[in-house]
Amino acid sequence: MKHIINSYENINNTARNNSDCPHVVLPEEIFFTISIVGVLENLIVLLAVFKNKNLQAPVYFFICSLAISDMLGSLYKILENILIILRNMGYLKPRGSFETTADDIIDSLFVLSLLGSIFSLSVIAADRYITIFHALRYHSIVTMRRTVVVLTVIWTFCTGTGITMVIFSHHVPTVITFTSLFPLMLVFILCLYVHMFLLARSHTRKISTLPRANMKGAITLTILLGVFIFCWAPFVLHVLLMTFCPSNPYCACYMSLFQVNGMLIMCNAVIDPFIYAFRSPELRDAFKKMIFCSRYW
Amino acid sequence: MSAQRLISNRTSQQSASNSDYTWEYEYYEIGPVSFEGLKAHKYSIVIGFWVGLAVFVIFMFFVLTLLTKTGAPHQDNAESSEKRFRMNSFVSDFGRPLEPDKVFSRQGNEESRSLFHCYINEVERLDRAKACHQTTALDSDVQLQEAIRSSGQPEEELNRLMKFDIPNFVNTDQNSFGEDDLLISEPPIVLETKPLSQTSHKDLD
Repeated sequence: MKHIINSYENINNTARNNSDCPHVVLPEEIFFTISIVGVLENLIVLLAVFKNKNLQAPVYFFICSLAISDMLGSLYKILENILIILRNMGYLKPRGSFETTADDIIDSLFVLSLLGSIFSLSVIAADRYITIFHALRYHSIVTMRRTVVVLTVIWTFCTGTGITMVIFSHHVPTVITFTSLFPLMLVFILCLYVHMFLLARSHTRKISTLPRANMKGAITLTILLGVFIFCWAPFVLHVLLMTFCPSNPYCACYMSLFQVNGMLIMCNAVIDPFIYAFRSPELRDAFKKMIFCSRYW
Repeated sequence: MSAQRLISNRTSQQSASNSDYTWEYEYYEIGPVSFEGLKAHKYSIVIGFWVGLAVFVIFMFFVLTLLTKTGAPHQDNAESSEKRFRMNSFVSDFGRPLEPDKVFSRQGNEESRSLFHCYINEVERLDRAKACHQTTALDSDVQLQEAIRSSGQPEEELNRLMKFDIPNFVNTDQNSFGEDDLLISEPPIVLETKPLSQTSHKDLD
């Protein structure tokens, strides 16, 4: 994974004079701004949930898990940019042992954030599904204890998988496992949400004939799934092409847009609080309370 | 890893044209990519990928909107009345589609009026909705019980519905639903909330 993630570091210094597809270079200020905004937003979500006793319910814990993984992704970007700047200024030795270890840790942070995002989104969809279809037994199925256990298992698995993937990053099975997680989870989430949407549609058909209701549901679902697809699919395709056709000119032209794909993942961390956390009225109220209370200080 | 470093060493010496010191940390390149004899446009994968993605998302949106216009109605089973409560809040969380007064005017059933009244979290709409939100969760469950009694439901269904819990996206107090015991009503609370539920019934007519 190191060669995938760090392959653009030298672009600021060298020119690829034998390629017609120049690497698209985004200024580091953009990366910094987006990452810092992502970290702050997700930190606000975490603070709002931990400060309010009435928000300590399983659904908000799952949203917190998503916020943590988004925050880790943004932190990874910030740390990596700092390391690149330090290297370009000459403070760090190239290929020293400290730099290698630091790079390993940072890469495993990235894979951890990726996997954490994937599993958090799946768990949020499953929780909503249980809320709808097993409503009477919801509080006996989704207890606080089970929530904590599930989140612990998920994050332990993600940490272990992240470390393993970084160690074995140049093997093909690792890449195939990594890239197959994305479509698998997409199909899982799609099935859950479409089933929920079908039930909501048939319900509103029974009690009202407002077509606007269903249109808004369709728009919300499309936004949820569309943001996920648009932000993650480009990077997953990059990893696939990097493994299977690195010297093909078409693949090389796609891989020249690596920084844009990376920025899309950062944008996902910025957009996710708005489409998951701040859709809940209680969390919005808790957030407003926090802002107004801080005004009086 | 060492093979990659050797390659990167060679590459850095060849292409160090515009800077004094260039180093590539783990720079991975198999070799120069030749762009001779391309049949299609060089960015064809990029364009094809993004167009395919956009088409997929738009197709998904149209499938969802078509589902709203066609399709068989949902089968009515024993749990459909409970699912209705959640559907209300779920749909309103999805996009606030329901107008309480329009729903009430079309629905002749008084039971569902009061239930929708309680569980649609439209804080900004009506005063009666606000009044319902300001009651505690226990009160709204008692209202539920009152409404069910007034509409004459059988006892076992009443018991089943008393274990009903509001899902997480409804704007009510979450703490009350930590234990199922709280849902059992007590006579003093019933008496206190009786005027409220009666007023609410009157408002809805």
